[in-house]
Amino acid sequence: MSAADNKKSHYINDKEISFKFDGKKYLGYKGDTIASALLRNNVRLVARSFKYHRPRGLYTCGIEEPNGIVQILNEHNEPNTRATVKQIYEGIRVNSQNRWPSLNLDVGSINNLLSPMFSAGFYYKTFMGPKGFWKKVYEPIIRRTAGLGKPPKEFRSKSVHQNHNVDIVIVGGGLSGLIAARKLIDTEYDVLLLEQDSFLGGILKNSNKIKKINNSEVNKWIKETEKLLKASKNIKILKNSLVTSYNFTNHLIALEDKCAGKEIDKEKSELTLHKIRTTQTILANGHIERFISFRNNDLPGVMLASSFEKYIHRFGVVPETNPVIFTNNSTTATLLKSLIELGHKPAAYVDARDKNKIGAKFLNYLKKNDIPFYINSEVEGCDGNKKINTISIRKNKNKIIKVKSSMLCVSGGINPDIHLFTQSKGLVKWDDKLLTFKPDVPFQNTITLGSVSGNYNYEKTIDEIDNKLSFLKAKKIRFNVELNDTNNFNIKELWETKHEKKSNWSKSFIDLHNDVTTKDLKQAVKEGFDRIEHLKRFTTNSMGTDQGKISSINSLGIVSKILKKKISEVGTTTYRPPYAPLSFSAIAGRNTYEFYDPQRKTPIHYWHIDNKAVFEDVGQWKRPWYFKKFEMETMHLAVQRESAQTRKTAGILDGSTLGKIEIKGKDALEFMNLMYTNAFTKMKPMTSRYALMLGEDGMIKDDGIVCKFNDKHFIATTTSGGAPKVLADMEEYLQTEWPHLQVYVNSITEQFSTFNISGPKSREIVSKVFTDVDFSNENFPFMTFKVFDYKETKVRIMRASFTGELGYEIYITPNHALDLWKKIFHYGKAYDLVPYGTETMHLLRAEKGYVVIGQETDGTVTPIDLNFNWMIGKNKKDFIGKRSLTRRDTSREDRKQLVGIVPLDKSEFIEEGQHVVECERLPKPIKTPVEYLGHVSSSYHSPNLNHCIAMAMLKGGNKLMGRKLFVSSTYGNKNIPVEVVSPVFIDPENKRLIS
Amino acid sequence: MILINCPYCGERDQSEFSNGGEAHVARPENSENLNDKDWGRYVFYRDNPKGIFYERWVHTHGCRKWFNAVRNTSTDEILKIYKLNENPPSKESFTNTLKTPSGEPKVGSGNFTVKK
Ligand SMILES: [Zn+2]
Repeated sequence: MSAADNKKSHYINDKEISFKFDGKKYLGYKGDTIASALLRNNVRLVARSFKYHRPRGLYTCGIEEPNGIVQILNEHNEPNTRATVKQIYEGIRVNSQNRWPSLNLDVGSINNLLSPMFSAGFYYKTFMGPKGFWKKVYEPIIRRTAGLGKPPKEFRSKSVHQNHNVDIVIVGGGLSGLIAARKLIDTEYDVLLLEQDSFLGGILKNSNKIKKINNSEVNKWIKETEKLLKASKNIKILKNSLVTSYNFTNHLIALEDKCAGKEIDKEKSELTLHKIRTTQTILANGHIERFISFRNNDLPGVMLASSFEKYIHRFGVVPETNPVIFTNNSTTATLLKSLIELGHKPAAYVDARDKNKIGAKFLNYLKKNDIPFYINSEVEGCDGNKKINTISIRKNKNKIIKVKSSMLCVSGGINPDIHLFTQSKGLVKWDDKLLTFKPDVPFQNTITLGSVSGNYNYEKTIDEIDNKLSFLKAKKIRFNVELNDTNNFNIKELWETKHEKKSNWSKSFIDLHNDVTTKDLKQAVKEGFDRIEHLKRFTTNSMGTDQGKISSINSLGIVSKILKKKISEVGTTTYRPPYAPLSFSAIAGRNTYEFYDPQRKTPIHYWHIDNKAVFEDVGQWKRPWYFKKFEMETMHLAVQRESAQTRKTAGILDGSTLGKIEIKGKDALEFMNLMYTNAFTKMKPMTSRYALMLGEDGMIKDDGIVCKFNDKHFIATTTSGGAPKVLADMEEYLQTEWPHLQVYVNSITEQFSTFNISGPKSREIVSKVFTDVDFSNENFPFMTFKVFDYKETKVRIMRASFTGELGYEIYITPNHALDLWKKIFHYGKAYDLVPYGTETMHLLRAEKGYVVIGQETDGTVTPIDLNFNWMIGKNKKDFIGKRSLTRRDTSREDRKQLVGIVPLDKSEFIEEGQHVVECERLPKPIKTPVEYLGHVSSSYHSPNLNHCIAMAMLKGGNKLMGRKLFVSSTYGNKNIPVEVVSPVFIDPENKRLIS
Repeated sequence: MILINCPYCGERDQSEFSNGGEAHVARPENSENLNDKDWGRYVFYRDNPKGIFYERWVHTHGCRKWFNAVRNTSTDEILKIYKLNENPPSKESFTNTLKTPSGEPKVGSGNFTVKK
């Protein structure tokens, strides 16, 4: 008793391929899947189960496979690949998963002996305590033993995305899909035909059910059809393309395997993700057979009957010449005939139906061929060591008969593959005759054809297609289908057979992938999980990567029996995309690494690298964080050096990342007065102003400096991260609230590089760089700007400062930026000009008490909270957020307000984010909540004051000046005593700033 | 992913657009005359019904224009798209099917409309 070739199949060819499974070499044919090749070699044990580590064999012949899931070692160690789908090629190396040390001797199978512990909901019940055990003990063990494959060794982008806009998509290139496509040849429609397999034909190739179409052999008819479709200009065929999602507005996602049956080419993409938008979708994606639960229905050797038939016809391998066939419906007739026609004799034929349903004609056929058959009977269970040895048949619901065979073909009926139809939000209904759910009302422009619509009669498919496609005014071609078995589909309800209690080892499974038994279902219902959605999650039934394709309807059948309800009342769970697992790299496509999140670099970037800058990511920008002057210099030392030097002579910051927006137009002044809190009307041309932007809730959204050229022309800077949002807000208000204003806004962030030079010597340096410009305090006072010619471009220089020192902001076109930067250093050398990064920028501004939006503020801070009352144009009639500033809540005096704090012991350091409290020590244990006054928003060690300075947002902070408070710390429960002070630590009189 | 028909560019994928919430909420003029409650209504309160909803969209990765749409929030079907300066279609011109495509039961938190 073993496998044999089907010599009639075109698959048997001379092209033998060698491949490795678990290190052992085998031979197969070109076109074989891993599964068909293993069956050819009589390999039955291919996996260990998820939870109990039970031996498992191949159960199906397609995407629905729950057991045969393997790891491909030579394809970046790709895990969780279905052996029933993946084709072999010369040299492919395949390993089984979830076993140690080997498939034959698996230590984890001890779990099967411990199985009473692993019953329904065991994750929720078993691992409840003691505290801390979940993270340290349970989770690592569960992750090691329960699970699928090992993650890939490396990740690389291997897919590309392709978009399609078509009129009609046909999903499935089987009988009905091909006929529908032929009717659309040379019509006005753009048609896309998607087939998951590497060839067209579907049921025609997978079975013996259909003999002839229009009097020609099916293979000949498929060839002829494919030729016609390819010649038609309006039809495109995509093979190896699995539709995984059917979304709103007829949007489908299909994954094309470009390397089916081939070794992957590292230079090319392996996958194409097709994003398809269509007007009409035709689902012709067929059906999936379901199993029956019986004792040990998971033993290697149990296989779905139609899958067995598929192996014979599609792959030319008869997995076992004398199997037992067990069915409750009429679809297995062609399997029996296929075996007999090849000269093989099934060991037994077991049918749960009575003789009326089976029909005299078929019974005579069984008798004539001398097949041992049992009607009104069922399989009680099967036994064997790692493969079936004996099969127990309960004859006439009573006597047990034992039959020896190594394989058992099971059919529990067939389900229309409604997965995509329900993804599209179509409604399904229960059919009492077919005993399954079938499509009812579509939600989108969806037509179902053939078995997916619940039409199992292939002769009638022709009329169905004619009817359903008539509105497309498709071609009137008649097709004549000749069947091998003319019986109409009939079925007897049977979800689980009655079985004897043999041992702890004996189990009747409902979900092979997740190791859920029918006992688990019963127990879950008993515990109160009688809603199907709850039951599914509690037992993990149909939650595996196969989504219970061969078993989810069975679980509804079993549950309905327990609850004594109709299946239509029990309802079905939701099918969710994707139809079958697809790798993250397929979804990612080219959007990986730098293509996923582009890096933005300033024109000075490579100078920074040459000068040992350490970079910080600010949004997509790469900004120097600090510069390492020598190898051993720590960040702290570098920042202290940069800060001290800037206050001593001069420092320069590459501020090119600053957002810049140009505002122009007749009504620019009015617009700016509305967008910002500041009053711009009386502001003189060619001056600038620190400005705040609020939300309608009165909270600070962004800040920046606004330069006024004249009433019709402004340039505003924004924070580095806030630029897109500020521009979008400006556009929104212009379009939606004030369309009468004639204003144009434009992002000029990347049109200008910006350098901030500051320090007491900065005037001397810029005077040497721009010799024509008068930088004297009288002619170039604080908060004014000048525009002048420089080479063939223009430079704008603004007297402004974010450090509290004398400073200038230089704006120049990026083409000249690096050149100018170097020139500044050329002249700056004599003054020890130092480049500094964002950390020093933050430290220097904190010394001066300047806030950073997003650090001191968090979307709940008003300008009043920051003591920015002077920035609010109170006399303006309106600006965004104005009314909110007088709301009762916003004008509360005990809101969190900005203060400075310093430690009383000057050697101590306060950490950012710590809480400010009134108690010296936290009580132990903490019984009542400790009152919290606020938090530390910024904290630095000031090199210029030589102690820690910090800013904090404290409740009623303005009234707490001079108070002694405490700040929590990460070390112990002793708090750090601090004093509340003004947040301006350096030069409160602005002498340096305006000198 | 739904398809949105930008009145300036034509049909594009939803990923090109951003949603701007409820439409036809005018920014009050003379807000100084409003009491805290009425101003608070404008700033903080938005409708979120199940069924017919008038909302704003902007073609962020396209023409950057704002426009209005009527969408059935229970089916995600866009019933009408119109420019900002066009009058909104009357609610009566649409049949409000509160039924979701998945046919969820009539009782449940998802079936209460915020405002009648
Ligand atoms: Zn547009």
